[in-house]
Order: sequence, then structure tokens, then C-alpha cells
Amino acid sequence: MSENEFQLGRQLFYDPIMSRDQTVSCASCHLQATGFTHVDHDLSHGIEGRIGNRNSMALMNLAWNSSFMWDGGINHIELQALAPISSENEMGSSLNEVVAKLNASIKYKGLYYNSYQDSLVTGQKTLLALTQFIVMLNSYNSKYDKYIINEDKGLFTQQEKNGLNIFRNHCTSCHTEPLFTNNEFHNNGLTLDPYLKDYGRMRITNKPEDSLKFKVPTLRNIQFTPPYMHDGRFENLKAVITHYNSGITHSSTLSESLNNNLQLTHKEEVDLLVFLRTLSDTEFLFNNRFSYPHIN
Amino acid sequence: MVSYTTPIVKLKITPLFNNQSITKNTWYVSSQKDSIQFTKLKFYLTDFQVKSIKGEINTIDHSNYLIDIFKPETLEILLNTVSFNNGDKLSFNLGVSSVINTTGAHSGALDPSNGMFWSWQSGYINFKIEGVSPSSKTRQNKFQFHIGGYQSPYNTIRRFDFVLNKHTTELNLKLEKFFEGAKLAVDNQVMIPGEKASKLATVFFNTLSIN
Repeated sequence: MSENEFQLGRQLFYDPIMSRDQTVSCASCHLQATGFTHVDHDLSHGIEGRIGNRNSMALMNLAWNSSFMWDGGINHIELQALAPISSENEMGSSLNEVVAKLNASIKYKGLYYNSYQDSLVTGQKTLLALTQFIVMLNSYNSKYDKYIINEDKGLFTQQEKNGLNIFRNHCTSCHTEPLFTNNEFHNNGLTLDPYLKDYGRMRITNKPEDSLKFKVPTLRNIQFTPPYMHDGRFENLKAVITHYNSGITHSSTLSESLNNNLQLTHKEEVDLLVFLRTLSDTEFLFNNRFSYPHIN
Repeated sequence: MVSYTTPIVKLKITPLFNNQSITKNTWYVSSQKDSIQFTKLKFYLTDFQVKSIKGEINTIDHSNYLIDIFKPETLEILLNTVSFNNGDKLSFNLGVSSVINTTGAHSGALDPSNGMFWSWQSGYINFKIEGVSPSSKTRQNKFQFHIGGYQSPYNTIRRFDFVLNKHTTELNLKLEKFFEGAKLAVDNQVMIPGEKASKLATVFFNTLSIN
């Protein structure tokens, strides 16, 4: 990897040339200031006003993921971008088409030469460059991190400590520290949306035991990434906690750790919410290295 | 690695239907009495190896080929970097190994921009057979088989081998065999990994033979 390759990936990430009609870029649904997701949209949008069938995922610390997408259908980070590029409801294009457009661009021929000592654009190089950008999107400077490593300003209030304790008692089997995900797939007790009819992981494995299971998302920067869940059904974290507290729908594939409702008191709910805010990392969310590239 | 000016092993691929060569806009009739025209037929041959009589294995690096029966330049494979003695075995995958399937973006014949890679569920399409048949009651009478999947029990990769005893070997594809068990009125589309794909992978494998 190199700085040039990272910068090429950054250009590609922010360039609507990736979509069939040049209207949608990766950043359209993955905005830096909101943890690289599409804030305030339950389902993501694509070209020609089309609407997808899932909530865009936040992008961070992805090098530690073992699979990608809500259903884990993508087995390697270098191949992830193929999905939105090819999806009819997202970018509506194909890697082949993108490569042809990039090969016709003097700007990109130069950037590819700088990265690979060869100006020929290929599918592999395009995916590798995007990967170089994506794997650098790492969030590790939250108040929580500073508290854990006892760094400067890393002091938790009593309320934040209470929240952390509640979190460790009830949430860490899936949202495991320090990534706040165990990379597994779980049915977390959501009712099936009758319109979307999305059975999650089962679509990939064809196994009934994977019905209604979705990837456990990270909780880092969770304060900035509403709405929540694979279909964006909860507008705020209060609604998420209410779901775990009293809204679990029981079914045969329900995650074992959710057999009992949380039954948190009102005070505990507030403490937990306060703790979740310590996972916000403004150094990451406002890092200029990851923002729209103002170079030409 | 030594590079020879004349190829040491040459493989000539000949797609046939009832011993006729295959061209576009030509009708063929299957044993199921389905009339068929081919519009696309592509497949991967990868990971070539020579195994000597003594059992020594010589793996040919980067020996991955995407064959398109309508692109004559893809129907000849020249393996310049191996030598062999009569009686050695040449083997290769029909399809793409699970190792390649799980190690990210590859180049050349394996570049995902070649249209032989699924986007919503990572994995190579090991072969595509597309065409039209009046028996196929689908949009524009199309039939489409996109066969892939690298995970057991529905792995679709098959390994072919044969004994080398000359420099040029003809590899025939007897495509009538692919349609012997398939009634296109019923079976006209398989586009995902699974049991059907795995069965069709074996059927397609059985169309291969050495002349």
C-alpha cells in the first residue's frame, strides 16, 4: 500500500463516476460526519431516486471484520464495493462499466499511474485502491478508549461508569469490546417487516437456522448513526433500548442471550445511553484525511 | 522460470453439439427435443499442474484462463513453462478454487470486472451457459445457467486430468450432454449456489473429454 493508492481510493470513494448515471458516490450513503453511514435514512437511496432494502452500515475498523454487509454475503473487504456498484437500487452499474469510464478519464489514468506505475485501469486495481481508503477509516480515540488506557481526559463520570457496568452485564456477548461487535450473526428479536420480507443471513446460507439473523454492528460512534437496525426501524437509541428492555419478539432463532428482557430501570436506561455516547470519536468523524478530496 | 519460444503443452478446446461446431444463430436440437441457440458460453480453467509418473507435482503459477467459446483466441491454452515426459498427467480445475474465491480481488482472467463474479454473495461464476429455446417459457425464451459456489456440500469446482503423450491435446466439450437431463421447459434458470448448481457442475464436467 502507499499514500498514492490511499488518495486514489479516496477520490474514487467521493466520485459519482462509480454510478451508472454519475449521480451517486460511495459517500452519498456513507457520510464521514455520521460515522460513514446515511444518517436519517432508514433505507438507503440509489440512482434515479430508487430505494434499497437495507440501512447503510457505518464504515469503521473494517479490517477486523470477517465478513461484510448485514447478511455477511461478502467474504473479503476487497470485494465489498462490488455489491453497491452492481446493485440496481444503489449505483446500478457494473465494475466493467466503471473501469471503462475510468480508463477514459485523463485524471484517473494519472492517478492509477501514480499508484501502480501503470495507467491501465483494471477492476482489481480499482477495488484495491478503494480498500486502501476504507481500511484506514479507523476509530479508536473515543472517550471510552481514553478511559480504558488511562489517557489524558480519560475520566469517566459516575454515570458513565454505571453505564459501562450495565453494558458489560447485558450487551458484551454480542457487542464485544473493543470493536463492540463479535462479527457474528444474530436474531435480535425484531419482527419481520412484511414489506421487505428480509430474512437476513438465511439468504446467503439457505439454512433455516439463520432465519432473521443479521450482522452484529459495531456501536462505535453509535450516537451519530441513526436510524438503527438493518432496516432503520428505530429512530433513536432510546427506542433501541426500549426494544431490548421490553420489545423482544420470540422465535426459534432468537439469540439465546435475549431470552429474557433486559428490565432496566429508567435510571439504568439513562446511564446506558450516557455510556454509549462515550463511544463517539470526533477525531475520526472530523479527520481531514478522510474528507472530500479538494485536490485535482 | 524458463520461457520457451515454442509451447511445451498446448490445449485446443473444441466446443461441439452432436459433433457439430458451435456458432451463434445456429439451431441445435437436444435429446429432450428442445431447440437451442447459444448466446453465451464461458468457463474457467485454472490451477494447472503436471504430475510425473513418479508423483512429483509441478504447479504452474498463474495458470488461470477464462474461456469464451465465441472468442477463438481463448480456445487455445499454451503452457510455456512446463516440460513433461510421456505418461505424466496434466490436471486443472473446471472452475475457480476456494482459495482464490476467498482471497480478495484478483487480476487478469480472474478480475471481477470480467462479469464472472457475483456481487451480492462473493464468489466466482465457474461457468455461464446462456441461450434461447422456444421450450423455455421465460422472457424472450431465454435460458441461463450461472454456476458457482465454493462451499461444501455444494462445491461446484471439478478437477479434470489426463495423461500427456503429445504436445498438442484436443479437449472436446460435448455440449449435447449438458442438455440430456435438462428439459428446458422446466429447468431453464440456475443462478445461485446450491444443490442444483452442484449437480449441473458435474453434468458440465462430464461434457469434457480428450480427443
